[in-house]
Amino acid sequence: MRIAEQERDDVLLRRAAKGDEEAFTLLYRRHQAAMYRFALRMTGNTWAAEEIVQDVFMTLMRDPKKYDATRGALGAFLYGVARNRLMKHLERLPREISLEEKNEDGTGSGIVLQDSSTPAIWAEKRERLLQVRAAVQELPVEFREAVVLCELEEMSYEEAAQMAGCPIGTIRSRLHRGRALLMAKLEMFRGAPRRASVAR
Amino acid sequence: MTCEEFEAIGLDVERDSSLSEAERAAAREHASTCSRCAALQDSWQAAGVELRAFAEDTAMAQAPARVEMRLRQEFRTRHVTLKVRRRAVIAAWALAAAAVLVGAVSWINWRKGGSNETANHLKSTPSVTNSAGNNTNSVPNTGALLQGAVAVQQPDAAESETLMADNELNDFTLFPGTLPADTADAAILRVRMQRSSLGALGLPVNEERAGEWIQVDLLVGNDGLPQAVRLPQQ
Repeated sequence: MRIAEQERDDVLLRRAAKGDEEAFTLLYRRHQAAMYRFALRMTGNTWAAEEIVQDVFMTLMRDPKKYDATRGALGAFLYGVARNRLMKHLERLPREISLEEKNEDGTGSGIVLQDSSTPAIWAEKRERLLQVRAAVQELPVEFREAVVLCELEEMSYEEAAQMAGCPIGTIRSRLHRGRALLMAKLEMFRGAPRRASVAR
Repeated sequence: MTCEEFEAIGLDVERDSSLSEAERAAAREHASTCSRCAALQDSWQAAGVELRAFAEDTAMAQAPARVEMRLRQEFRTRHVTLKVRRRAVIAAWALAAAAVLVGAVSWINWRKGGSNETANHLKSTPSVTNSAGNNTNSVPNTGALLQGAVAVQQPDAAESETLMADNELNDFTLFPGTLPADTADAAILRVRMQRSSLGALGLPVNEERAGEWIQVDLLVGNDGLPQAVRLPQQ
C-alpha cells in the first residue's frame, strides 16, 4: 500500500514500528536534511554529521516508543536526540576541525560555492567561508549551539530554547556572548591576511 | 537605553519577538545617538551577512545516500529477525501445547486401561473358578469350562496379564483323537481345573490326586474344543 506524502509523522512512525520500511524511509527523507545540516554546522565535519544522522535514526528504529507525540513534533524530538549525540561527539573530540575534508563526490570541503565569476573571487569567497566556519567551530559548544540554531537554522528564541532545553533568557545570553566572540574571531581572521600583506 | 542594554537586546531588535515596540524604538534611537553601539551594530550586521552566506552554502547539504541504504538494511534485518523470533516463539508454544495434550491423552488412556484391567481381572477370576467348580462332578463339561476360560481371554488390553500361557506350542500333550494339524489356528487358554477333569478329556489321572486344583494351558481349536493340554512349569 502506498503511503501519502503528507501522512503525519506519528502515523508514519507507528507504521515503521510495525515493520513498514516505506514509512520509515519517508520519515528519514523528511527529516534527514535538517539533522545533517545541524550536525554539519555544529561539527564542521561531514563524516561526523553522517554518523550523527545515522545514530539519530537508529535510535528511532530501535526504540520508537521513546517519542511521545503529545510532547511535541517528531522534528523537535529528533533534534533533541541529535543534540545529545553531538554533545557526546564534541566531548570525545573537543576541537576537531577538518577544513580540508573531501565530500562524497570528491569536491573538497563541505562548502561548495555556486557562483564564481573569476578564480580569484572564488578563492577569496571560499577562504572567507572557511574562516566563518572556523570561527563558528571555535566557539564554545553552548555558544556555538545558540549561534547555529538562531543564526544558521534561523529558529526563533523560543524554538532554540526548546531545542537546547533551557530558558529563553539563557539562549539570549549565550547568543549575545557567542556573537561577541564570533565578531572578534572574524575580525581577527580579517586582520590576519591584512597584517600578513603589510609585513610583506 | 544604556549601552549595556543595547548590547543585550539591541543587536537583534528586528528578530526578537519578545521585545515590545517601545524597546525597539529605544534601541533604534540609542544606535542613532551612540557611535560605539552603532559601530557594534554595523559589525554585527557584517558578521550576519557572512553567517548567512555560510548558512546558504550548507543549506542544501544532505546526508549521503549510503546512510539511507545502511539504515534501510538495518531496518530490514531488524524486522526480519523480529518476525523470525516471533514465529519461533509461536512454534515453541504450539509444540509445548501439543506435547502437553499428547501427555494428557496418554495419561487418561493409561488410567482407563488400568481400571479396565482391574475390572477384567476381578471379573475373570470367579468365572474360571465357577467353571472349574462345575467340573467337580464327574461329568466333564468342557464347553462350560472353556466358556469360562474365554472370558479370561477376551479383553485384548488385559491379554498380557490374564493370558499367562506361553505362546510356544512345545510341551503340549495332544488329547487322544486329535491330529497335530488341527492345532494350527488354535488359541491357548490358561484355566484352573481339578486334576480329575483331565481324565474326562482322555488323559490318565492319578486317582490319589484327582481332587487337586491345578492350573493348565489348554489349546482350544476353532470349534471351541480343547485339542491339547500343557502343565505350566511353576
